[in-house]
Amino acid sequence: MTATAHRSGSLVWARRNLFRTPLDGVLSVVFGAISVWLIYKTLSFVFVTGRWDIIRVNLRLLMIGRFPDVHVLRLSVTVVGLAAWGGFLAGFIRARQVRSGRISDTGVSITARIRDIAGRLWLPSVVVLLLLLLSSTAGPWITVGLAIVAAVVGRLIGPFAGRRKLGPGASAAVFAGLGAVPVALYFYVVTAVGFNAWGGFMLNLFLAACAIVLCFPLGILLALGRRSTLPLVRLVCTTYIEIVRGAPLFVLLLLANSALGFFVPNSLAPSTSTRAIIVFTLFTAAYMAEIIRGGLQSVPRGQIEAAKAVGLSPVRQTGYIVLPQALRNVIPAQIGQLISLFKDTTLAGVAMGLFELLNVATSIPAQEGFRGQGLIGETITFAALLFWTVSFTMSRESQRLERRLGVGER
Amino acid sequence: MTEHDDPQHTDHAPTSVFADATEMRGTGAAMIELEHVDKFFGDFQALRDINVKVAAQEVVVVIGPSGSGKSTMIRCINRLEEHDAGRIVVDGTELSNDIRNIQEIRRETGMVFQSFNLFPHLSVLDNVTLAPRKVRKLPKAIAEEMGMALLEMVKIPEQAAKYPGQLSGGQQQRVAIARSLAMKPKVMLFDEPTSALDPEMINEVLDTMKELAASGMTMIVVTHEMGFAREVADRVVFMADGQIVEVGTPDHFFENPSEDRTKLFLSQIL
Repeated sequence: MTATAHRSGSLVWARRNLFRTPLDGVLSVVFGAISVWLIYKTLSFVFVTGRWDIIRVNLRLLMIGRFPDVHVLRLSVTVVGLAAWGGFLAGFIRARQVRSGRISDTGVSITARIRDIAGRLWLPSVVVLLLLLLSSTAGPWITVGLAIVAAVVGRLIGPFAGRRKLGPGASAAVFAGLGAVPVALYFYVVTAVGFNAWGGFMLNLFLAACAIVLCFPLGILLALGRRSTLPLVRLVCTTYIEIVRGAPLFVLLLLANSALGFFVPNSLAPSTSTRAIIVFTLFTAAYMAEIIRGGLQSVPRGQIEAAKAVGLSPVRQTGYIVLPQALRNVIPAQIGQLISLFKDTTLAGVAMGLFELLNVATSIPAQEGFRGQGLIGETITFAALLFWTVSFTMSRESQRLERRLGVGER
Repeated sequence: MTEHDDPQHTDHAPTSVFADATEMRGTGAAMIELEHVDKFFGDFQALRDINVKVAAQEVVVVIGPSGSGKSTMIRCINRLEEHDAGRIVVDGTELSNDIRNIQEIRRETGMVFQSFNLFPHLSVLDNVTLAPRKVRKLPKAIAEEMGMALLEMVKIPEQAAKYPGQLSGGQQQRVAIARSLAMKPKVMLFDEPTSALDPEMINEVLDTMKELAASGMTMIVVTHEMGFAREVADRVVFMADGQIVEVGTPDHFFENPSEDRTKLFLSQIL
């Protein structure tokens, strides 16, 4: 009885949604057939016709480029260090928020929290697992295992520092320490292996991370400068934004690669990767500035009037009242720009010859043993999967951030 | 409030001042003085030769048709609008273009807006304590103690941890009053504080304002609440077309206005 009711239910649904009119019916059949064919082709490529050997053999090249064997241990240490740092930071921040009463710590069970984390991290976890399964050595397994342990330990230690009420000196020390960790790890790696030997997906992640961290403050300054009451500041910021936004990123990368020699002697010129970071930062900052300016304009005038009326100085009006609301209002656009920046790091491969993921992916099908077999489909698909995973995770985290900061609730 | 040596606040000698509010009851020092103030928006003259003195602890209610310049006048006092001519003196300090001077006057004057203008990204308590902490440099603990006391005064201490968006309009406006009082101002300016409220919430805000008036706060209130004007005001100022038309005690003003323009306005609203 229930089964037939069910079947008639889905029949009714199909008739209502797929076959309401003759035209609907034709479109449903045509697009249904196309979808089935696409899914079949994709599955057969992934599981049958695809020759994923090329990925297995070149996995290391794809992930870390030509990073010298003897120093790979430093990368493992860095990954574990960053995991511990991230875990500590998460625990630290959360405990501070609980202490200031911004979020409550009660009523959230351990299982609910684990489910929350699993919901956030399942996609990158699956991809990491896939990469581990492709790898032929034990190193990556050990690194990932230690990184997970380090992250959990950091997360458990973090709240002890965050819960405590720190004096200005102690909290400055904690913040300085937290800021110093990634910088120290960077020098730990770069002193052994110069920038020019970095490559693979690691390089994409590094270029993007540096540019994201640097473009953000620059973008805020440019946005504020463009709204300044001082004509000269306004002119400089506006000119900068309009010139940079008017040039294609690819052209800027080419310029940085070749034309820099006209202005700077070779001995002083920064390495290619550094130039790429500078270009990405300057380019994205111009776009961020316009996004943030939109946010600044979305803050009602009454907010500034109220800030003035309680006696806040212009700097404090901006810092405590206008900017927090402005940045919050444009989170989706900001994250969109940062995702775009992350994907644009592939341009550094084409324009500057950096050995980043896409560059590796397009060159390995020409290797001895794979040449002439048309394996570029496999390598590009692999690169696309990695980029999509990171971009999608960023997008999901931005939605979460929006919800938590209450965008759209006034 | 600081005790004032002058008890003129209770002295309700009838006045019949014609377009000039400079005459004071008693001889108390003026807390706010506007002399020959003009204000233009482009070619439009919003204020014409405004002369008002408000004594310490006095409550002045400003009424008039919309567009008459009431809000513009009080917004000039804390420099949310810049006046084009004349003098404005607050507690002995003349308003100038110097930002330090403006800041000083803003610290002495609290303002409550029609649309509350609470900071939506800060909790109720943070709304109240932000300025004392950042401008007066009070330690956090002391500022929060004072903030809670103010929230008790406006009768919503239980909302301290919430955000403005979670409160009703009447509650938000009372938080806004507490926020202004947190800077310990000598003068409070109210710009149509009940105009954006649902009718059932108007009284809770007016009651708070009445208590404030009874505590001796110097207040200038732009409002359409005639009951409040009658009950609380020491003087009523009637404005039309950017000018002060008539000034008087509430009794004089509502029972026996001198000006035709005032009579017309009262006949329209009462």
